[in-house]
Amino acid sequence: MHLRELILRNFRNFDHTELSFPSDLIFLIGENAQGKTNLIESVFLSCTGRSHRTSKDREMIQWEKEEAYVRTKVDRKLGDSSIDILLRAHEKKRVRINGEPIHRLGELMGHLNSVIFSPEDLKLVKEGPVERRRFMDMELSQIRPKYFYYLQQYNRILNQRNNLLKEIQSNPSLAKTLPVWDQQLAETGSFIILQRHAFNISLQKIAREIHSRISRGSEQLSLVYRSSIPYQDAALEEIRQNFLRELEIRQKEDIEKGRTGKGCHRDDILFHINGMDVRLFGSQGQKRTTVLSLKLSELEFMFRETGEYPLLLLDDAMSELDSARQRMLLEYIGKVQTFVAVTDQDQFPEIRGRDSQVFQIRSGTAVPEG
Amino acid sequence: MTQTILRARSEIRYCSVCCNMTDRDPCAICSSNNRDKSVICVVKDPRDVVAMEKMHDYRGVYHVLHGTISPMEGIGPDDIRIRELLSRINDGEVREVILATNPDVEGEATAVYISRLIKPLGIRVTRIAHGIPIGGDLEYADEVTLSKAMEGRREM
Repeated sequence: MHLRELILRNFRNFDHTELSFPSDLIFLIGENAQGKTNLIESVFLSCTGRSHRTSKDREMIQWEKEEAYVRTKVDRKLGDSSIDILLRAHEKKRVRINGEPIHRLGELMGHLNSVIFSPEDLKLVKEGPVERRRFMDMELSQIRPKYFYYLQQYNRILNQRNNLLKEIQSNPSLAKTLPVWDQQLAETGSFIILQRHAFNISLQKIAREIHSRISRGSEQLSLVYRSSIPYQDAALEEIRQNFLRELEIRQKEDIEKGRTGKGCHRDDILFHINGMDVRLFGSQGQKRTTVLSLKLSELEFMFRETGEYPLLLLDDAMSELDSARQRMLLEYIGKVQTFVAVTDQDQFPEIRGRDSQVFQIRSGTAVPEG
Repeated sequence: MTQTILRARSEIRYCSVCCNMTDRDPCAICSSNNRDKSVICVVKDPRDVVAMEKMHDYRGVYHVLHGTISPMEGIGPDDIRIRELLSRINDGEVREVILATNPDVEGEATAVYISRLIKPLGIRVTRIAHGIPIGGDLEYADEVTLSKAMEGRREM
């Protein structure tokens, strides 16, 4: 996958910018708060229809403007495509693929894929399960539109069910409608669990290899998928039945609390190094290595699933890594079109001189160097 | 003009049989001799009846729910016209109920709820198919629609 062109209008601090990227290695260099991350964000938005740092589209529209516009042109194995995203202050955003409007955001998924790596990714191993579910969801949604659709459905059903649980507290006769939500929750939920199960197995295979290389064979990384719905055979029907049973067993408690206690919204992944939980017992260094292994595995996973490498977006990610880990990351640069946002190009002694493009980012402008 | 609007306001009411909007009771469809009263197509609102009637193909009658179950909006089964549907079915005559609510989360929940109530009565309950629009190109259908269409495939 190759991002050929990026056009921005009224996007964050960029008034009007048109950039083209013939190269596979692009440096975005500038001081803090000049717009490096905004460029990375606009590319990520074109991949997923969302920002990687805010859930409010409004924040991406320039101050006092009504609309922001992002256009990307992409070269892919299956042919070129263009993606237009129009963000509007008071209405839903509009997305066009090759000039054709799409009706659900899910249709955007898969046209331009990326893996983003920023210092905040350490949250993946340091913080609660929300980050790890997001990690699985972002990856699976980009390669499987059906997963994204089921995930949206699931969240809506869950929201409806939780509202119903609260209503039942004051009007117990409504309990008769609970089974119709349980049935839908179990149906979409079992699909999601099965996909996550398979994803963790594939990702572990790749991550183990990569992690072992970074740690020079001294560490074995394992991914343990923890679903709150138990299952043995990882068969759709079995998971669905167990899902329904869990909902039934906990029904009284769910009604008392007014929320659903079991389901894929409670899933988690544990990362183990040589059998030890990294989050609880890992050193800073092990946590960083684990994140790097996971990110590089994402690239490889997407390649195996789709036959094409996604874009790699590095947002100030290098400062966190020591030189051994940097070298590992740089191995991938060259295979994958990479956007590197940094304050100083000297952070990369190894790759200076490689065929690359450099843009100086200053208060909402990107000026090509040389 | 004012007269017409005033007349419309005073004369339009709900059909006592199918709950559709009408200026006479029972409505034109429910009182027609050419319609098969043993097949009821259940829809969310009156606009859906208009859409269905455009196909000039369906010879059964309708039942308009005036909404779908949605706890988020405080709408339960007693807030839409499900009770009226059940009493129609209890009057006998009905052989088949076609559930034509939208293929969204709320439409699906409503369809499942109704089917759980009337299936035990020995009445045939069907759900309309979802999939590729006619005249549409497979190539341009999105993956989710395609996969729904695969799920709903039939023997030839």
